[in-house]
Amino acid sequence: MVPPLPPEPEQFAGPAWVPTRALGRAVLLTGLLLLLGVALGRVDLVLLAAPFAIGAAASLRRMPRSAPELTIATGDEHIVEGGHVDASLTVTNPDVIAYDLVVVRTRTSPWLKLEHADRPFAISVPPDGWHAVDLPGDANRWGRQDVGPAAARVAACGGLLACRPVVVPARGVRVYPVTDPFKATEAMPAAAGLVGNHRSRRPGEGGELAGVRPFAPGDRLRRIDWRVSLRTRDLHVASTLSDRDAEVLLLLDVLGEVGRSGGVAGGASVLDTTVRAAAAIAEHYLQRGDRVSLLEYGATARRLRAATGRRQYLTVLEWLLDVRPDPVEGDDDYANVFGFHHVSSDALVMVLTPLVDPRSADMLAQLTRSGRYVVAVDTLPPDAAPGNRGQWTPLATRLWRMERENVLGRLREHGVPVVAWAGSGSLDLVLRDVARLASAPRGR
Amino acid sequence: MMAGSVTNAVAAARAVTARATGTPFLVRCGIGISGLLAMLVAWPVSLTGTQYFIPLTLLAVYPAVVPRGRGATLAAMVVVTGWLVDTAGYGASVELWRVLSIASLLYLGHTLTALAAVLPYDAVVNLEVVGGWLLRAAAVLLVSAVLTVVTLALSADLAGGAFLVATLLGILGAVGATVLIARLLRRA
Repeated sequence: MVPPLPPEPEQFAGPAWVPTRALGRAVLLTGLLLLLGVALGRVDLVLLAAPFAIGAAASLRRMPRSAPELTIATGDEHIVEGGHVDASLTVTNPDVIAYDLVVVRTRTSPWLKLEHADRPFAISVPPDGWHAVDLPGDANRWGRQDVGPAAARVAACGGLLACRPVVVPARGVRVYPVTDPFKATEAMPAAAGLVGNHRSRRPGEGGELAGVRPFAPGDRLRRIDWRVSLRTRDLHVASTLSDRDAEVLLLLDVLGEVGRSGGVAGGASVLDTTVRAAAAIAEHYLQRGDRVSLLEYGATARRLRAATGRRQYLTVLEWLLDVRPDPVEGDDDYANVFGFHHVSSDALVMVLTPLVDPRSADMLAQLTRSGRYVVAVDTLPPDAAPGNRGQWTPLATRLWRMERENVLGRLREHGVPVVAWAGSGSLDLVLRDVARLASAPRGR
Repeated sequence: MMAGSVTNAVAAARAVTARATGTPFLVRCGIGISGLLAMLVAWPVSLTGTQYFIPLTLLAVYPAVVPRGRGATLAAMVVVTGWLVDTAGYGASVELWRVLSIASLLYLGHTLTALAAVLPYDAVVNLEVVGGWLLRAAAVLLVSAVLTVVTLALSADLAGGAFLVATLLGILGAVGATVLIARLLRRA
């Protein structure tokens, strides 16, 4: 028995090429003029039809058979906010005749400022060739920014035949958040308790000698091994193994988005500040050999488990690209949003929150009550205010601000340090407080 | 209600004007000019400048504004009607330059309308698209111009054999059109 042949896709896809109104016009005028010419015995009318007939015959002597191929290329390099993006649309002509006109258009994410991306491009493609439309531009905000979906519509045979539009799905450009430089010189609150009997194998600040190596820029002066340096007449430093093994949990409040994001050069919304600050804090602690985990305070409660090293830093950046507002609707019960079992008892919990939702303040208070080391980073933009809806709006805004200040004060009373994110060194003061708190007996 | 729709139309027209790019605009200008010139050449000279020419002008320019509609077909038919009115009604003689001009302008209007129908008004156009398009149109016009000159000369030499020439050419053209339509139907 002969197995049935697999069906060809073209049999079901219908004709990709359809005649245009221009072909109908050419055929109609040719026929009409010929008919009139013969009926009236007027050679001039036949001659008026000649260009239409010759043009149609010349254009249709060879017909297209296959549909065009469209691809979106975005480049695979590491792009940071404000960086350069090289996107391009390539139309390939697998046919034996030229495409007289290809109209290519694409959608793009509003945060990608690509040159002329809002306009269609009209190009021609030679037979068995390709033509690329370059879309250089800048990426203005972190996240997965789409180039596409793109569509191409082809006219061949002098505009007498047109192809049905070919549409390709969007391609994402990964734009990583720009990290504010962040340095915290203060000790980790739980570092001493976690060292135990096990030394880390990771080089870093510590007491265990790992070896002696030549001095390099960035080494601390007190690490210089003077005896070796004198003997070799070159500066050498004693490198040590890290004895820090603390976990930092970055808790990202994504219950809502406040403020208008202006991209990398404009104002920052809550999520902008949250993501950029999380990236900076994670970079800092991962470089120092700590373990960093991330958790979203939202409906889905996305989680990234604790790990260390550069690989974890790249994972954190990738994880942060998918941060978006994730509200929990119609449920005031904090326990349903977020479970304590996700938070390690020895971890330093840094909560990045705008403190707009009352549940965020409750969560902070509960975390502190349960004995975690908590630092709240206020991510609300200073100029954030609701839209003006009437004469009472400014007054209501002032009331809301006062109430929020009240909540912050009460949180501080509960022992939750709240600090506004201001980049480098903004957390030093509160980390010192947390470290001091940690040295006190735990529990209540 | 009416005022609102007019305001909307004006706003839409302004938006279109602000976004329009040069090349598609020039292509549409080409359609309008060739249509207008074809009307001028085809219709009797006595009609030019009178109020009867205003609708003809509007009809000639309409395909430039709406190239995707049936306006181009209608305009071409009106040009042919004008030619018939002038030659049969007013008794004007069939002159070579007029046949050549009308045939060329009609085809130019037709092919430019075909281009404008697929070319968005706000497109960034690669010049080789329009260049290639015009070159192909020029080649077609050249071939048909040679054919026109030779045929008109032949019919003048035959002196009265115009009916025979028309019939022969017409039959040839009809056969060509039939073959063309048959090929298209087979593809579909």
